[in-house]
Amino acid sequence: MVLTARRTEPVTLLQRERALRPDVLLILSYLALTGLGLVMIYSASAPRLLADGESPTSLVRRQMIFALVGIVAFVLASLIEHRTLKMLAPIAYVGSLISLIVVLYMPVVSGANRWIELGFFQFQPSELAKVSLILALAALLAASKDKALHWTEIARAVVLVAVPAFLIFRQPDLGTMLVFGFVAVVMVFSAGTTWRQFAFMTITAVLGSALLFKAGWIAEYQLTRITAFLDETSDVVDSNYNLIQSKIAIGSGGLFGRGLFEGAQTNLSFVPEQSTDFIFTAIGEQLGFVGATVVIGLFALITWRLLVAAANGRDRFSQLVAIGVAAMLVFHVFVNIGMTVRITPVTGLPLPFLSAGGTAFIAMSLALGLGHSVWMRRSPVPVDVDI
Amino acid sequence: MLRPTWRIRDLRVVLVGIVFIAAWVGIGYRLFQVQVVEAATFVADGEDQRIRVEDKAAKRGTIFDRDGIELAVSVDLPTVFADPALIDDPVGTAQLLAPLYHGDVAELTERLSQSESRFTYVVRHLEVEVADRIKTAVLDNKIEGIYFQNEPYRVYPAGDLAAQVLGFVQQDDQSGLEGLEAQFDHLLTGLPGKQVLERDPEGRPIPLGELLIEPAIPGYDLRTTIDREIQYAAQQAAADAVVDTNALAATIVVMVPGTGEILAMATAPTFDPNDRSTIDIAAVRNRAVTDVYEPGSTLKVITVAAALDAGIVVPSNSWNVPAAYEVEGKEDPYTDVGREEDRMMSVAEILMSSSNVGTIQIQERLGNELHHQYLDAFGLGQLTTDSIPGEVPGLLHPLEDWISATAGASTAIGYRVDVTALQMAAVFGTIANDGVWVEPHVVSELIHPDGSRDVTVPRQRPVLSERTAEQMQELLQGVVEQGTGRRASIEDFAVGGKTGTTEKFLYEEGFYSEDDRIASFIGIAPIDGPEIVVAVVLDSPHGEIEEGEAMVELQFGGVSAAPVFARVAEAALQALGVAPDAP
Repeated sequence: MVLTARRTEPVTLLQRERALRPDVLLILSYLALTGLGLVMIYSASAPRLLADGESPTSLVRRQMIFALVGIVAFVLASLIEHRTLKMLAPIAYVGSLISLIVVLYMPVVSGANRWIELGFFQFQPSELAKVSLILALAALLAASKDKALHWTEIARAVVLVAVPAFLIFRQPDLGTMLVFGFVAVVMVFSAGTTWRQFAFMTITAVLGSALLFKAGWIAEYQLTRITAFLDETSDVVDSNYNLIQSKIAIGSGGLFGRGLFEGAQTNLSFVPEQSTDFIFTAIGEQLGFVGATVVIGLFALITWRLLVAAANGRDRFSQLVAIGVAAMLVFHVFVNIGMTVRITPVTGLPLPFLSAGGTAFIAMSLALGLGHSVWMRRSPVPVDVDI
Repeated sequence: MLRPTWRIRDLRVVLVGIVFIAAWVGIGYRLFQVQVVEAATFVADGEDQRIRVEDKAAKRGTIFDRDGIELAVSVDLPTVFADPALIDDPVGTAQLLAPLYHGDVAELTERLSQSESRFTYVVRHLEVEVADRIKTAVLDNKIEGIYFQNEPYRVYPAGDLAAQVLGFVQQDDQSGLEGLEAQFDHLLTGLPGKQVLERDPEGRPIPLGELLIEPAIPGYDLRTTIDREIQYAAQQAAADAVVDTNALAATIVVMVPGTGEILAMATAPTFDPNDRSTIDIAAVRNRAVTDVYEPGSTLKVITVAAALDAGIVVPSNSWNVPAAYEVEGKEDPYTDVGREEDRMMSVAEILMSSSNVGTIQIQERLGNELHHQYLDAFGLGQLTTDSIPGEVPGLLHPLEDWISATAGASTAIGYRVDVTALQMAAVFGTIANDGVWVEPHVVSELIHPDGSRDVTVPRQRPVLSERTAEQMQELLQGVVEQGTGRRASIEDFAVGGKTGTTEKFLYEEGFYSEDDRIASFIGIAPIDGPEIVVAVVLDSPHGEIEEGEAMVELQFGGVSAAPVFARVAEAALQALGVAPDAP
């Protein structure tokens, strides 16, 4: 893994300072995933839409608009100055808290207060809150003057995460809460905890979760999902139905897949929500192990570029932003794909850039743009070389 | 010296990177497991839940008359069924649909409400127009869970024509229940094909997901020997006979003596196989083969023919026939109807007047052994064929049981023997066919799906010499022209035949009925160059009719059955285009 930038020819530091150098690999991977997402959303939604007498392209056309907005967000985020961003962090954080409180008073949809109806689309505050949290946490941790973090800083970080996490828990949206936890742990660890502090944080997280269960604040369906995950044979029709169907679809794909737009499991809509949370089942069935590997490869490529960006970030804030974005991305992909092949429970996290959905795509593009900007404005000199 | 004030330690980034790599590898490994190692089981699981192999019913064979006109044929009719789990509004749906096919709303509502069951018929075997009306209603109201499918349905285009011969099928599964439909069921059914149906998660068949992996092999067609016109005439005659003679039932068989082909086999009362709700179980029996009776005087034909054929008598031999004739072991002596004095009678006269005493005297000369031999050769006590469903063999006691002195005497005049109308038709057919017995049959050809044909070759066996057969024909002509069978004569043709009247044996009770008789007439037409044999058997005719100045009793075969013979024979000869005898 190359963690350093290599100097190729003599350029003045000023030139390096001014030049914006985009990461072509990251951009291409992002666009490739987005394009594939559109194709797969069409493939997974067209048969059902046709059967319902609607236009087979209605869902994908909508998603195209989100994709365009998302790409614009990616470009804009890539261009934002870090100092500006640092100043925006508290505003974004407070704004997110407000929207997370507002959403709790919205009408319940599918058993949760997760969406704010904006007429043309449903806004999902928790998606943007993930990005805000990364910024706020990076800003907080970057303020530390020392290499190691103090217990007070860790305590503040915990509070910073706990408030929005609790609001999201109230929706309820267990998956997003777990994203918060994972992103926070990775960021705090990267910011420089001692092992003792790290151990303390982990134990706190585990005890906190146990407390939530003990207090009976976990919704019934979430418990059922976890039970279903642990016991493959239980409740075949209900909780396990999704899991069994998605595994059949992916397994049916075999090595090379059934071919794009082919595949009975997807075309007959055996997998519920196959254009949103379970989009990977369509990929697995139609494109096979080879196609699935390419998709994972693209995600791995993006995370690698984000880690490289983090290693070359010009200040602690931007480095932590890049790490946070990488952590968020990996967690989403791992939990989402993991759920379709039964290595993680069903949590309702979308597959970044591939699942149909407005807020999620835009928020994820925004986050990727922020990570990309770290690379664009990376340290003008190789950071591992003392000059 | 330009140095970042603080930078992430590469070690931590590397550690985070390692965790991430572990995540990617973990997922990749799991995908490899699911998509490569275990792929086959998932493919199978998927197919299990969406693919079903179903039998595709073969087209049931058609039953034709002798001219290739359909008597029983399968057509596809629309059937409507429902998945109650998908019916949102059972009451509204039932109220909408039931009136369209004149069904019961409440009953349909109940079936559509059973949402735990995934299948129920709404209505089966509709007329196409009715199905179209239902289809339109379903589409207009966007009702989910109502489906249409064509199902085979057995139709009998000629209605009750030859109903007991054809039988009918169970419409649910098209299996043959009665008659030829049952007898040849295995051949008519054909071999079902296999069809792969793909279904969506709700279990709905997918329009394009249908694949035929094994085509069905259609059933054999049957071509029968039935002549529609003659069958119709026979049925009408049988139906009228039941009314005119106050009989319980009438059976008529029309057969071609030379070939054994059954042109008509009629039973009254009858039924319409297209309307199963009205079928009376008793009317379903093909009485010509399922019901036995004691033939009485018609069996005297065998006694006389055997004696002639064995050279024991000639037609002109005559002797004294007493008015009453004692036989050991019988309380009352044998007598003849309407004769109270002894008389010199020839063999011909004995048969013409149907003399019991004379026939018994002939039998005594013939002897039990020879008598039994001939009865056996004529096919009594045996199935005549294996192609007519429901046939019973009747009863001819084995020779070793002819112990009492009355055994031979009774048998000579047609008691102590159980026969079917078809057996008797074959007996007279033998006489008409120069002494050769021919197996009667109703199926002339089995037509394979590929068009090739198995033609029925009836069994034959010589029973009488040609000369005896000719003598018998002359004697039978005498019966009609001068004897008990006068009412059987028809215009333009000379015919021959024999009357029969027996006390009806009540098989269930085990004794003879006091009031009921079996009246029969079996004849040959034309007697010179026979074309047909017609057997008429009436079960329990009653009453009297006026004839000239006298009243005659319908219980006698010569009174009630002979005219029916005349009517059927006349119609049959006309239908066959037989040229009248030269005047």
